[in-house]
Amino acid sequence: MADLPHLHLGGRVLDANLHLLDRQVLDADGVPVGVVDDVELRDVTGGGRGPTVVGLVVGGGLLTRVFGGRGPITPRHRIGWRDVAAIDTAVHLGRRAENLPIAWADRWVRERIIGRLPGGRHAPR
Amino acid sequence: MLLGDLMRRPVTSGDDLVGFVVDCRFVVDGPPDGLLASARIAGLIVGDRHREAFLGYERTGVRKPLPLAWFFRRRERLAFLVAWDDVERIDAHGVHLRDGWTRWSAAITRGD
Repeated sequence: MADLPHLHLGGRVLDANLHLLDRQVLDADGVPVGVVDDVELRDVTGGGRGPTVVGLVVGGGLLTRVFGGRGPITPRHRIGWRDVAAIDTAVHLGRRAENLPIAWADRWVRERIIGRLPGGRHAPR
Repeated sequence: MLLGDLMRRPVTSGDDLVGFVVDCRFVVDGPPDGLLASARIAGLIVGDRHREAFLGYERTGVRKPLPLAWFFRRRERLAFLVAWDDVERIDAHGVHLRDGWTRWSAAITRGD
């Protein structure tokens, strides 16, 4: 097969499987938030500029990876594209995890369980 | 719609099966949307049903060692890029391309 022509795109190019899916998501402090499981799109019709990325779907994909199918996507799994600050070996957010809905489980365990244990409210000495 | 709903869908041109969606190429080139520019789908990487990205080396121009470079060049030829402009419609049966669609290289080169 002869070499195919190259389509030049003005802007940063990302391939979903290579650069987005399964990438770890880190918050503004470098704290892991989850792993990119899917990408949410808008205006998925043929032709034109192409569907726009609305956000990333993070976490909650373990069971579907093992058993297939698509599980329910709740708001706490969504991270808006507006919150993405950079993409390299990980996806870096411009917000702290504590301000994201996905971190509610971590917050709940920290406040309701660990926080009630002796010494659970401060760093180890 | 989620990207996962597009992946592995059959791609057809008329009555001919062209391949299957194995990856999706985004480009970040829109107006500012938060901290980055907005991103959109620029095209679909089409290959046969079992074609997966092999660590990405087949698209990123590996030159050495030579045996691996030869191997990845062969894999690169089995997948190609279809620009979103050439997508006529998407329905329950898959992705349908318009007449006269163009087959582009799936390689990501410097400057992209």
